[in-house]
Amino acid sequence: MKKLILATGIAALMATSAMAETIGVSIARFDDNFLTVMRNGMVEHAASLDGVTLQVEDARDDVARQLDQINNFVASGVDAIIVNIVDTSAADAMTAAADAAGVPLVYVNREPDNVDTLPDNQAFVASNEIESGTLAAFEACNLLRAAGLSGGARGYMLMGQLSNQAAIARSQDVRDILGIAMCEFIELIDEQTANWSRDEAQDLMTNWLSSGEEFHVVFANNDEMAIGAIQAMLAAGVDMDDVVVTGVDATQDALASMAEGNLDVTVFQDAFGQGSGSVDTALALARGEDVDQKVYIPFQLVTPDNMDMFTDAN
Amino acid sequence: MAETSQGTGGLKFDRNKRTWPNEANVFIALILLIGLFELIGHYRVGQSMLFDFNTNRDGTILNMARIRIIILQVSIIGIIALGVTQVIITGGIDLSSGSVVGMTAMIAMSFALTAEVNGNPNGRAIFLSEVDGQMVPTPWLHDLPVMVPILVGLLIGILAGFINGVFIAYTGIPPFIATLGMMVSARGVANWWSEGNPVSFPTDQYTALANGNLLDTLTFGLFSESWAMQEVFDGQNPAVFFILLAILFHFIMKHTIYGKHTYAIGSNEDAARMSGINVNRQKVLVYAIAGMLAGFAAILLTSKNLTAQSGMGLIYELDAIAMAVIGGVSLSGGRGSILGTVLGAMIFGIIISGFTYLRLDAFYQEIVKGMIIVGAVVLDQWRQRRASNR
Repeated sequence: MKKLILATGIAALMATSAMAETIGVSIARFDDNFLTVMRNGMVEHAASLDGVTLQVEDARDDVARQLDQINNFVASGVDAIIVNIVDTSAADAMTAAADAAGVPLVYVNREPDNVDTLPDNQAFVASNEIESGTLAAFEACNLLRAAGLSGGARGYMLMGQLSNQAAIARSQDVRDILGIAMCEFIELIDEQTANWSRDEAQDLMTNWLSSGEEFHVVFANNDEMAIGAIQAMLAAGVDMDDVVVTGVDATQDALASMAEGNLDVTVFQDAFGQGSGSVDTALALARGEDVDQKVYIPFQLVTPDNMDMFTDAN
Repeated sequence: MAETSQGTGGLKFDRNKRTWPNEANVFIALILLIGLFELIGHYRVGQSMLFDFNTNRDGTILNMARIRIIILQVSIIGIIALGVTQVIITGGIDLSSGSVVGMTAMIAMSFALTAEVNGNPNGRAIFLSEVDGQMVPTPWLHDLPVMVPILVGLLIGILAGFINGVFIAYTGIPPFIATLGMMVSARGVANWWSEGNPVSFPTDQYTALANGNLLDTLTFGLFSESWAMQEVFDGQNPAVFFILLAILFHFIMKHTIYGKHTYAIGSNEDAARMSGINVNRQKVLVYAIAGMLAGFAAILLTSKNLTAQSGMGLIYELDAIAMAVIGGVSLSGGRGSILGTVLGAMIFGIIISGFTYLRLDAFYQEIVKGMIIVGAVVLDQWRQRRASNR
């Protein structure tokens, strides 16, 4: 796989056709699983197109570094820019920088705060974050009712980085679902951050287990933390049939865990589709074609019943 | 008061102070911290942190589950801290250990994978080859004996530490710079190795490294037959390795030439060189051992989590340094001990578990952690000054 991408990358460099288009890409983090799948979607899709070159850079979760990268892209005369923004509230400066130079800009995966006031040659490709937490929490609520716990159930919530919009949105989705009449019976014992990390989630869950509280559900903001919690529960001898665990992302690791009967619910966000969609939108803008400024790619609920459809997806 | 207490009375008091090892202070701080959490917890959650008088879940009055996690959650960074302690005792610093963990995790894990997951080809495999027009995990590089990833991991750790040591000893650049460079480059290698993709689904043998019962493995099951409490050690291998390595390096630092030379270099490098110690070789050795311990920590971390990710070990180096500093290891070199670092690690563990037990957010945890790091050094300096003004 790696060699394949390398080879196509070199081939793309060699192919200096007159129609070549260059797209500058700034990704919030290279070491994030989900963003990596999305990045692969961009790279592979661009490689399949004739004369499209991507220049991908890592913003390493630094807003200032990301703005510098965009200015560098503008200065080197790229045909379009794709930004997976580090901080959703920092979009104004980036929009202004690209707009002043007349370079088309596409925000991908994370919804910038200025999404409703974008200039004509800028667009946004992502999934609507409100769906993800809601889908997972509602399914968990249904599973708990089906298990006969509608008289009262208790649970924990593992949250992503507290400064991250997706973590905030997904956590709020869960709280909102627990607020509706049908799901009020679920009570959160505690909610803490495990910074999206499997390792931290594992330690946090073990700490929770050590207090001996009875619980029936664990909501996690992503699959990695759900897997960490599952590993902690398995190590402590908890029967996974008695606990509903939810995640988000439908990663391969999560689907393997679901196949083993441990993870109950996850939500598929089409990372690859977002990546390739952002490249298409950027090219359309660069060629002056008419595009939708908000392209939403829907989330899908994943349970043991339909998990086979997603095996190779993320 | 100042006049009279400078006399024999004061001296006597100071002498008592001086013979009291620094580790005792750290230990007292640890006990005080536990007492503080117990007190607040009594009013806030109506439960004890370390004791469990009512439910008796583990057959003892102790809450064994919590005591286990307190040690387990700091043991992997603790293993790194054992190496960092030795580096700091030479008067150096190692900023690269977190990134070396990330790099080693990715590479070692790639040799620890199974070729198949639930009957399908492992989609997280790194080494692929073409069979019948399809890219599948290369058969001879998967389902390898567990010694292969262990050796790969240790060698990469040693190599990283060796490079650090050679630059520090033979080019004379400050340890801060040499290890800063390694920190950046090693993280780059970790990201480059799989282009940010996670590496998952290790063999059962590799999984057992962190999740098994080491004492049982070493005694061929005799341990579990002979002692009712053996379950306490299930899945505690990182903690067991941490304690065993701590005992080993405590002995090495106190009773071997390697230890004495390490302290000598940190106390006075010129004097050490003049008295015939091969300072350069010793430094390379110390950094290589620190790298090896970081590599070993990466092996345990990936085994515990069943995955390697390029962001693993992020800022572990700072936690490891903080553990050593809280435990009384002096950043100017020559002073401190492995025992102190172990106690420093325990203080970290108490803080993390204590805050979860109080159901307080992680924000407070970090605020308090920062204050304890600075507080520990201030107290240590103050104690040092008292000792030298005597």
